[in-house]
Amino acid sequence: MYAAELVEVTKRFGPVLANDGIDLAVARGEVHAVVGENGAGKSTLMSILYGLHRPDAGEIRRDGRTVALRSPADAIRHGLGMVHQRFRLFPGLTVAENVVIGAEPVRAGRIDRAAAARKVAALSERYGLRADPSALVGGLPVGVRQRVEILRALYREAEILILDEPTAVLTPGETDRLFEVLRTVAATGVSILLVTHKLSEVMAIGDRVTVLRQGRVTGRFTTAETNADELVNAMIGRSLAPSAPKRARPVREDPVLEVRDLTIHDADGVARLSEVSLSVHPGEIVGLAGVAGSGQRELIDSVTGLRGAVPGVFLAGTPVLAGRDPRVAYVPEDRHGRATAPGMSVAENILMGAQRELSSRWTLPTAAVKRRARDLVDRFAISAASVDVPISALSGGNAQKAVLARELTRPSRVVVAEEPTQGVDVGVRERVHALLLAARDDGAAVLLQSSELSELRDLADRILVLYEGRVVAEFPGDATETDIGRAMTGATA
Amino acid sequence: MTAPALARRVVVSAPVVAVAGALALTTLVMLVVGVDPTLAYPALIRGAVADGNLEYTVAAFVPTLGMALAFALPLRAGEFNLGGDGQLAAGGVAAAALALLVPLPPVVAVVLPLVAGALAGGLVAAVAAPLSTRLKIPAIVSTLLISTPAVALASYLVRFPLAEAGTGIAQTPTLPDAAHLPFLGGSGYVTIGLPLIVVLTGLWLYADGRTVTGYEIRATGQNREFARYGGVRVDRVAAVALAGGGAFAGLSGALIVLGPPYRFVDGALTAPGYTFTAVAAVLLASARPVVVPLTVALLTVLQVGGQGMEREAGVPSQLTQIVQGLIIVIVAVLATLQARRRR
Repeated sequence: MYAAELVEVTKRFGPVLANDGIDLAVARGEVHAVVGENGAGKSTLMSILYGLHRPDAGEIRRDGRTVALRSPADAIRHGLGMVHQRFRLFPGLTVAENVVIGAEPVRAGRIDRAAAARKVAALSERYGLRADPSALVGGLPVGVRQRVEILRALYREAEILILDEPTAVLTPGETDRLFEVLRTVAATGVSILLVTHKLSEVMAIGDRVTVLRQGRVTGRFTTAETNADELVNAMIGRSLAPSAPKRARPVREDPVLEVRDLTIHDADGVARLSEVSLSVHPGEIVGLAGVAGSGQRELIDSVTGLRGAVPGVFLAGTPVLAGRDPRVAYVPEDRHGRATAPGMSVAENILMGAQRELSSRWTLPTAAVKRRARDLVDRFAISAASVDVPISALSGGNAQKAVLARELTRPSRVVVAEEPTQGVDVGVRERVHALLLAARDDGAAVLLQSSELSELRDLADRILVLYEGRVVAEFPGDATETDIGRAMTGATA
Repeated sequence: MTAPALARRVVVSAPVVAVAGALALTTLVMLVVGVDPTLAYPALIRGAVADGNLEYTVAAFVPTLGMALAFALPLRAGEFNLGGDGQLAAGGVAAAALALLVPLPPVVAVVLPLVAGALAGGLVAAVAAPLSTRLKIPAIVSTLLISTPAVALASYLVRFPLAEAGTGIAQTPTLPDAAHLPFLGGSGYVTIGLPLIVVLTGLWLYADGRTVTGYEIRATGQNREFARYGGVRVDRVAAVALAGGGAFAGLSGALIVLGPPYRFVDGALTAPGYTFTAVAAVLLASARPVVVPLTVALLTVLQVGGQGMEREAGVPSQLTQIVQGLIIVIVAVLATLQARRRR
């Protein structure tokens, strides 16, 4: 008998068949990974299990009995707990208050805070989830906040814990600690459903894996008996090309991107960047590693001109232009933040930045704009019904390819790429990497910021580590993740 | 798209649903308060189009369309211009002052006050731009707050420095003949303001869809961060859009003042409620600029016809305001539902 079972679950959103007769069974105390590309149906499936969506067909069983989950409240009652990608915590309340919320211990009609703190302390002791019950959540690091989310689910006596991409926000060290916690939790008999797209994590912690592709199950594996290649095959329906060999380039031209002694203070006078110097030469990829908030945003905004005319930033020997320096191609991290306008068409999104050069005087040459967009959609293998549909109608991976198409076809010798494969599937990731390598081979100077060390190691010729606004280390592209990870936490070698 | 599919899309589109829903609810209200809808609606239509009323409806269409542009243009850049009344009054008083105080040759005597009105309206609206971009005070708040003093200032000017001597009525003297807008054909109400505003609407539609500026305004409205990232000077774009909207409002004020009765009568510009009828029309068009003239026409018919209904069927003309209010509520509900479904 399985702790939880999804049987023949089908869910349709309009014309899209998100889940097509999916069977998934989770045993007691196992760590079960659910992997798949973006849009494969993982999130929908987990939402169904947590009562956020109701399936069109199929059923859900808990300990062998069929249950109806009409809402998350139902799901919680049936022993399900979920840790969302975006935490749902109250920053102004303490850890204990956040954990017990919705099921507070009550004494004489009042919340028994002492009992709450005691219970939370006991829980955190039992599962090795260290968190001070009286600390305010707002002041805690991301890794600890995540523990609070897990504690909340365990406090509600969850027997099945669903984690949606839990490591996306964590440093390598925090990820290791999370995995230890998950093993401890699983050892007490709680089943864990881990949604992820990182295969290394699946291999590291999963007992079994279910692979989804286009709404169907394409593979079930026991991690001990499989390997990453087999999983990739099931995920994308083919194998990946071997990663491009790194080139040794003894000849060095002058750098096209140079940053000299750049110091930037925020509105409160706190230094966000301190005396940062770096240079990127034509035909090289320089990787930028660092825990989120170490100054990456400030550095990239300075290099692209978005921070204004910052002294100390030079492109091809001349100072960076304020606004958006047209000499820099820039692939921003958040597609919904600055990279696209969701309501505008694919053509209009691809146009951004080139609208003035394409137009003589006032009028936008609509036909030429669309022709160019169609051309790029073909060249970059973007799957879109037409260039007139809103870009929000495209899948995440195709929208990202559209952003790359726009930026990499700018006449620029400097390319800044920020988390270029965040939230895209393995196939697109491969394509994005090929595009960045091709830009490098064409003589572009590429600055690549990524929180995925494997990505930096695959692509970068050199890796710089930012820590608290300083460049604290430089590694060759083939440095070990351990060394880079250690530098990211500020530990000196 | 096949013809039936297109037809279905039109029928279930937000504007059609909103108008139909609002009319249904209004009918319900009529029945509850004991008004016979079979008398009221024909009276409303007659009040708008029959017995020579059509001319009056068209005359009211002109400033309403102008005010719709005043709201719609900044809205494309993501700025809410709710200060139409102030910009309208400023434009009207600037036009009246120029026409009264400076003797001008024919033609120029019409053109210059119109330009002055547009400039004055644009200036009043532009004040909101730095407040929004530098001090982060939303335009929806600042335009509304600036509106009241602007209306009051215009009122002061009309009551005192520019007042008609000896009458004690809060109005300016009649403007010199050279400053009167010529009538269109044999009409006694409709002036050349109609073709002017229609041409300007056409220009705006063209600019919105087919020019670099229009593209940058739309990009700014869709996602300001995206536009900034793309090299658009978003602060300037927002200021231009607000000032442009204000200019349309100021021009509408000037058109009213230079038309019959050829003077600035205190309160006559703001009392008919052009500003908010226009806001309702633009919201009803739900982000489809081409539809704006149609929704303006519809709401003008309701507005003007409402008075006819009051005269003929004894139904208070406020009922048409109920229709307008219901339309906005339904549009808002539909927009929210749509956003939720998309999530």
